[in-house]
This record gives sequence, C-alpha cells and structure tokens, in this order.
Amino acid sequence: MSTKPLENPYIPKPVTIEKITIENEAKDLKSFRLRFVNKEDEKAFTYKCGQFAMISVAGAGECPIGIASSPLDEGILEFTIKRYPTGVVTTALHNLEEGDIIGVRGPCGNSYPMAGMENKNVVIVGGGFAFTTLRSTIRYMLHEKNRSKFKNITIIYGARSPGELLYKQELEEWEKRNDVEIFITVDKGDENWKGREGFVPAVVKQVAPGSENAIILICGPPIMLKFTWPPVLELGFTPDNIITSLERRMSCGIGKCGRCNIGAMYVCKHGPVLSYEQIQELSERP
Amino acid sequence: MLKKADINKFIAAVMNNGYKVFGPVKQEDGVSLSELKTTDDISFDYFNFILPPKRHFFPWSELLYKYKDKTIHEAPLPEDKTILLGIRPCDARSFSFLDNVFIDDKAVDPYYQNRRDNTIVISLACNQPLPSCFCTSVGGTPAGKEGTDILAYDTGDSLFFEECSERGSSFLKLYSKFFSTPDQADVQAVKDFIAKAEKQVLSVNIKNAAEKLKEKFYDSVWDKLSFRCLSCGVCTFFCPTCYCFGLYDERDRRIRVHDACMYKGFTLEASGHNPRPTQSERMRQRIMHKFLYTVENFGKIFCVGCGRCVTACPVNMDIRENIVEVIG
Repeated sequence: MSTKPLENPYIPKPVTIEKITIENEAKDLKSFRLRFVNKEDEKAFTYKCGQFAMISVAGAGECPIGIASSPLDEGILEFTIKRYPTGVVTTALHNLEEGDIIGVRGPCGNSYPMAGMENKNVVIVGGGFAFTTLRSTIRYMLHEKNRSKFKNITIIYGARSPGELLYKQELEEWEKRNDVEIFITVDKGDENWKGREGFVPAVVKQVAPGSENAIILICGPPIMLKFTWPPVLELGFTPDNIITSLERRMSCGIGKCGRCNIGAMYVCKHGPVLSYEQIQELSERP
Repeated sequence: MLKKADINKFIAAVMNNGYKVFGPVKQEDGVSLSELKTTDDISFDYFNFILPPKRHFFPWSELLYKYKDKTIHEAPLPEDKTILLGIRPCDARSFSFLDNVFIDDKAVDPYYQNRRDNTIVISLACNQPLPSCFCTSVGGTPAGKEGTDILAYDTGDSLFFEECSERGSSFLKLYSKFFSTPDQADVQAVKDFIAKAEKQVLSVNIKNAAEKLKEKFYDSVWDKLSFRCLSCGVCTFFCPTCYCFGLYDERDRRIRVHDACMYKGFTLEASGHNPRPTQSERMRQRIMHKFLYTVENFGKIFCVGCGRCVTACPVNMDIRENIVEVIG
C-alpha cells in the first residue's frame, strides 16, 4: 500500500543538558542549553524561529516548549522553561542537573514569517516568559549574516518586576547596539530600577512604532494580548501583519491526539504562529 | 459464493498462510470480534460487535519504547498479518476516517499504518439494522464498501463475496477454490437484501449540519445539553471514529493510551488554565469535532451512525437528538 515512513515521529532524540541558567528572581524560570547526543539527530533537527519541540523527561512525560535559541546558534538548542508546582514535566526538568540526558522531539508547528519580514520594519512585543521564541527571532535577525535583510527593528519587552526580566545580559547587549531600538518596561520597579514602568499595551502606545511597511510580532499572556490588539490596530497595522503565537496543552505535537484544537485549527500543526486576521476567523475566540 | 458450511475450511487455509484471523465469536454478553483459535466458534448471529474495531489498528494501550540504561529501546512495529472478518460496513467506514488522521498527513503514524497495511478487512453487510442505527443519515449504508477490502452478504446458507479493493481481489484469488460463481438468483437475493435493510435504518435529519453548527458556537444550547452528561467518556470509548489519545510515561516506559475530550483533564494545562473547563465546552467540542471540524479538515462527518454511544450512555443521551436540538 503506502511506503514506510523513514522516521517514527513519536520517538524523542537524546540530548545532554550542557548548561542550566536560572533566569529570574523567583527561580521558577530556567534556561536549558542542550546538545544532541548524536550528530545525525542534530543535523536532522532543522528548525525556524517560532517553532516548538516536545521535551521529554524519562518517567515524568513530555510537554511542548517554544525554542528560545536561534537557528543560527550552531550545535545547541535552548529552551526557557517555567516550573509550575502542578506541572509534572516542568518540575522534573527543574530538578535535573547539567550533564543529565533528556529527550527532544520535533521541531513542531509552523514558524514566524521570517521571509515575509525581510525588507520590512519589524516590531517585537513581548510580555513575561512568552518572550522565548521572540528571543529566538531577535537573535536570528540581529545575527551579522541577517541584520541587513531587515529594516528598523523595535523591541518592546515587559515583565512583572525587574527580577522577572529574562535574558538580562542579552538585553544589555541589545541596548548597546545602534541598529535596534529596545524599550524595556516592568509593571512595578524596585528601589534599584531606573527604567520604564508600566504595562506593555501602554508602552506600545507611548512608543508608537510606525506601521508603514512594518510587521509586528506579539507574544504574551492572554490579558496582555487582549489590551495590546486595540493600540496596535490604531497604529495602522493591518490584521495580516499582526502576528502572534498560541499555546495549548499538547501530547503528540503532530496534529493527531486531539487536545490543542481551536475550532478546526490544531495549534500544534496549523499553528502555533497565527496572524490576527486568522485568529479573527476562528469559530472560537482564544 | 462461499457456503457457510465451508467457511471453516476457508479460514483454516487463511490461517495456514500465516494470518491471524479475528472474527465474530459468541461470548456471554454477545458476539465479539475475537481471535479465532479453532475454526469452530464463528457465529453470524449478531447485529454488531459491542466494542468498535478501532482497537485493532489503534490499541487501547500501546508501548512506544522502554527507557533503560539511559537509552531508548523502541518497541518493534506491529507486523502481524491480520484478517478482520465480519466487520459491519459502518465500522469499516470508520477505518477510512481514521486513515485521514493517521496516514493521510504529513506526519504518518507508523503503528497505525503498519497495522492497516498488514490487515485485510472483510466486512459483512447488515441484514437487520438496530433501532439505534442511523448510518444512512451520515453517508453510509448497510452494504457500504468504504474502508473495506471485501464485502460479504449473508444470503442464508451462503456468503456472497464482493471485492472492494485491489488488495481484496488479489487476496480472494488465492482462495478461489473455496468459492463458487454466484447465479442470477443469488445476485437478485443480494439486491433485495440491500434494499430491505436500507429501508429499516432510522433516518435523522442532519442536513447541512456543518453549516448550521458554525453559527452555534456561542449558543446556550450546549449548557442545556451538557446538564445531564456525567463526563464519563463512555461515548468516546465506544465510538469507532473517536481517536483522541495521550502519550504517558509509566516508570521506565512511554505508552500511548486512548484519551477523551469528555474529561476535564484532557486540556488542563500545568498553569491551571483550561480552555474547556466545563462539560458544556467539552460537549460542544465533541459534537463540533464530529460534525463540523472534520468536515472542514477532511470533508467528512466523523460519525458512522453505529449507535453505540446511544446504547452505551448511562444517562440516555442520544447524539441523534442532540445534534437535531443544536441545529434546530
């Protein structure tokens, strides 16, 4: 009948945890730098910005996590993972040490429209720990091989408090560059905080990035999205140029197990990246 | 034509060629689709099997791999040559639906595909539909050929075999010595038989259900419908087209087991967020999935009208009434 598939999509590939970085004050966000145990698995795992992978901890299970590294970060794969006390896999992950082996399956889902973003002004809006796949995108765009492909890059990134900002060292490096504009905000600062205070939607209004020849990527908690759409639309971004990424519980990651659908759209297969235009067309409003 | 008296010889020959044969076997609580050990216990005296046959391609529980010494040891892919005998046309039809999900996609499910490739489906047309049957309302018939390789008709003393796929005809050729050529009377008997059975199937008016459902997403009808539902998931367990599953780790192994959209935990996220927190959303998901989403994705209503969910529901929910109530 049909030919046998070359690859069993349910089998994870082994990766070694090379480095663990605690990202925030609350210590419930850790970045894991992974390296494939087998060279051929590394070669086969070609991904794009915005994709995710299924992360396995033997005995605990598997969960979907957005890829935080850039496709140009050769040899390594990075994920920033929040631990939830009720999350079996994330808790198991946070108990692991450097040198331990976990599993990675993927890459899964679609990606940000990187090709469509070329020769355009790009605005990145991130809130909280949804910043991970945006970080992948920023790293990719700011790479010396790629920077010239994109016009102005504007980043607006917010967290609850200064201690909750991810990738602090990189943020500092980006702030020093003159080929990217970056606006960092916290809901509430502390005594040492000299930066901006205020919610992301308000900062978007203040900064008012131009919508002319521009595309905007927005990722954050649902409440942030809800209040960010109106100012972004007001700035003149058209619904097809407003891009976001959705999340749902997943098990298979390949559009079969039946959990992550919103209407007929499966977040793992047709998403996670969708335009505001596509979201408006869904029968269910996420 | 195959004389029923000769069926044991036919099956013995098939088994001799290395096939596992699953057929209708009389059990205490009805006839079930079981592996034939001896060839004596076949019974054609049944309406339909209690359980849907989907488990033959997609088992209730399946080992994917064991994790030992920091290494993944994959479970071998199933390779058994199998015959499923006596599958009712509605259930055979469900296989072609499941094919859409597991095979006809960018990501192919190797477990399902291997079993499907190694299995020949011989279905048996219905001579007596049940009161819970409604196959003709969802695109099937008591003598439907979709999803099957060979369709048999019970004409009393004999079975009339009709080839429905290339695989089915090359298979039958190997066993031609067991079959006689049907005469005109046999052919006429088969025709009468189909016409009679079709008339007996209950008709439910679900015309344009998909179009109408599009307008019903935020309707209060779901609250009303789900009021009675216990969230037990038995409808999904008995449904031949329900395929939701989960991958779970059990100590040193990863298994795949059936799961159900009727359960609260199905979509519950680690953060505590649940996109389908109440039974109302879950009921809507099940009906929308079968009558709208699969129509959008595959052009098919994922219901074959077998009526198992109707008879199995502990609180007498009837999907035929439900869908009519929703689309009005």
